[in-house]
Amino acid sequence: MADNRRDALKIIGTIGATCAYPFSADELYAQHTGHAESAAGKAALPAPSYFSKADLETVTCLAGLIIPKTDTPGAVEAGVPAYIDFVVAKNKQAQGLFKRGLAWLDTAAKRKGKTRFAELDEAAQMAILQPLSDAADTVALPPPGYRRAAPPKMKPEAAFFRAIKGLTADGYYTSEIGLMRELGYNGNTALAGFPTCTHEH
Amino acid sequence: MADKIFDVVVVGSGPSGGTLAAHLARAGVDVAVVEGGPVINTRTDFNTHGLPFQFANRQIPRMKTGKPGFDSERARGVGGKSLTWNAVAWRFGPRDFKGKTLEGAGEDWPISYDELAPYYEAIEREVGVCGNRDGLEDLPDGHFLPPVPMKCTDVAVMRGAAKLGVKVIHVRKSTLSRNQSGRPACHFCGNCMAGCDVVAKYNSADVHLRPAMKTGKLTIFSNSIVREVSVTQENRVDGVKFLDRETLREGEVKGRAVVVSCACVQTVALLLMSKSRLYPNGLANSSGQLGKHFIPHFTNGVSCFLTDFVGKPPVNDEGFLDHAYIPSFMHTRQRDYARSFGVQFNYQNRRSVGWARDVKGFGASYKQAVKDRYPAFLTFSPYGEKLPDPKTYVDLDPSKKDAYGLPEARRHVNWSDNDWKIFRDMTEWSRRILGETGAEIQAVGEDPRTNHELGGCRMGADPKTSVLNANCQAHDMKNLFVVDGSVFPSASEKNPTHTMMALAARTARFIAEAGRKGEL
Repeated sequence: MADNRRDALKIIGTIGATCAYPFSADELYAQHTGHAESAAGKAALPAPSYFSKADLETVTCLAGLIIPKTDTPGAVEAGVPAYIDFVVAKNKQAQGLFKRGLAWLDTAAKRKGKTRFAELDEAAQMAILQPLSDAADTVALPPPGYRRAAPPKMKPEAAFFRAIKGLTADGYYTSEIGLMRELGYNGNTALAGFPTCTHEH
Repeated sequence: MADKIFDVVVVGSGPSGGTLAAHLARAGVDVAVVEGGPVINTRTDFNTHGLPFQFANRQIPRMKTGKPGFDSERARGVGGKSLTWNAVAWRFGPRDFKGKTLEGAGEDWPISYDELAPYYEAIEREVGVCGNRDGLEDLPDGHFLPPVPMKCTDVAVMRGAAKLGVKVIHVRKSTLSRNQSGRPACHFCGNCMAGCDVVAKYNSADVHLRPAMKTGKLTIFSNSIVREVSVTQENRVDGVKFLDRETLREGEVKGRAVVVSCACVQTVALLLMSKSRLYPNGLANSSGQLGKHFIPHFTNGVSCFLTDFVGKPPVNDEGFLDHAYIPSFMHTRQRDYARSFGVQFNYQNRRSVGWARDVKGFGASYKQAVKDRYPAFLTFSPYGEKLPDPKTYVDLDPSKKDAYGLPEARRHVNWSDNDWKIFRDMTEWSRRILGETGAEIQAVGEDPRTNHELGGCRMGADPKTSVLNANCQAHDMKNLFVVDGSVFPSASEKNPTHTMMALAARTARFIAEAGRKGEL
């Protein structure tokens, strides 16, 4: 086994012996012009399977309120509800947060005379969400990667709002619509040289 | 072949092991490299240019489907961490080698800057380092390819920092700014750390090991996880024992000398694991110093938006990640701590927008706020030097084993008073520099986070307080060597890999000469 592997490597070594890197610089450069365009092939998210029909309706409604359709498509058009379903299905902590949060929203809707949050008109929905968003925004967070294990303390409904807003942002800005169309990401290309800054700063 | 005895067995194929093995092979030494991971084709195996929506979970996997696994925690794969590093290549400055003499804190190196300088130059010439000659004493110039222009946002930070008397310079990287040795110049796709697929960025597999194969003196054992450095009765090592990564079968490679270069913490772990009746505390550890003096760099991590760039059209400015650097300036200023920090900044990749979840509010105004800030987002990370302290060390977990049945290494990190003073000062200076630049600070790390693991198997003149001598040779046995970040007696605040490679070249020369004279 070890000997076979060694032989295989000796062969690779022989290839290497003829030229240090077996492709010319120009060929490699050509390989890279326009690879952003050729980076086709999208992986479709699986159809939502975790949330009940009613919960999925509320999640869809929330995603659309957090990142609405404007002159560009919003979270719903970018398939974010399926992304949220996909992530929450695999995360026990998020499941608890979503269960309480979605129930809390329906309770809030009942106080306004409807049985479910999704049945309220948009103004009423925004009025319910605004305090949750404000509460979530008052908690300062260290940058991603620097967070402590314990989540910051906030009311469960505010924590739920922060979670679904985070997932909506993640899902939207990793989608082709969000990253390419909305933000206009234009990297991942080959530049012949890096442009020198010529602006007045 | 199974009975073959190599001149030198090198454990690990990263920037240290790869450099050392290539230099030995070129000097005519019969060398074996034993690497825990698979051979990786850097041209085709990485998902270098993937975009998140091409994957169902929206996370870009490191390797393409069906390609060999590359373990990034332990960097198992031929090429090690050089496959995914960011390629920043500083020489350490003269003061970095004599911190104890100058400041009474930490430890001196047993060698000086002048002793290492020729090896820095040798590495710069053979691998290609781009950068500007800035004439700074603390960040010595070398043999550089032309620097890469700064980004517009770098220039903005440079103007801001200048108001405080703080200098911003071009970054120096082991990435080609023009074609060299059959390798193409960088094309600025911005995905360096996803694995450069054209080898514009240095990696030890393509730049050192592959060309060294033509000497006929280099043999690579891949997928071979070393679990022990074996010893004879005569106070000598005689090879390594390994587990096949796929079959878990035992194997061994014999050699007249052994060099351990499997990355700081794993190097310490391997020597601790190599214990026997003769060496109950692990190999080369008669001093009890192995694992001590662990001195990783630490950073705070600031994210911000430059106000002048908010609302501007998106720019294709990822380049090769960071193009500029703020060299240490506090070491020449009045302060109440030892050592200093430098700042890496503007290294974000714009295909990742994780900061969007922390932009305040929701709805159409939130969506617009994210879009406006997209071209203005900037990362800013000062890196500080940690002093050795007794509560910061590496050891083996007595019960936890990895997938191969080997003990897990543990990192114990304590932040001393001096560390906290540096940490608070670098946070303060981040706010000041970004304030002068005109920035909306989004988040600042509250606790130090480690990066660039160093120390644990340090060099030193005194065998009682160090594991290795000035030639990276174990005090305890003359045919055992260690070369990687673990050997650093003090860490500097500068990115360490270039220094590891220079040390590897120096150690290769020592081993080749000592071997020729029959002194090993």
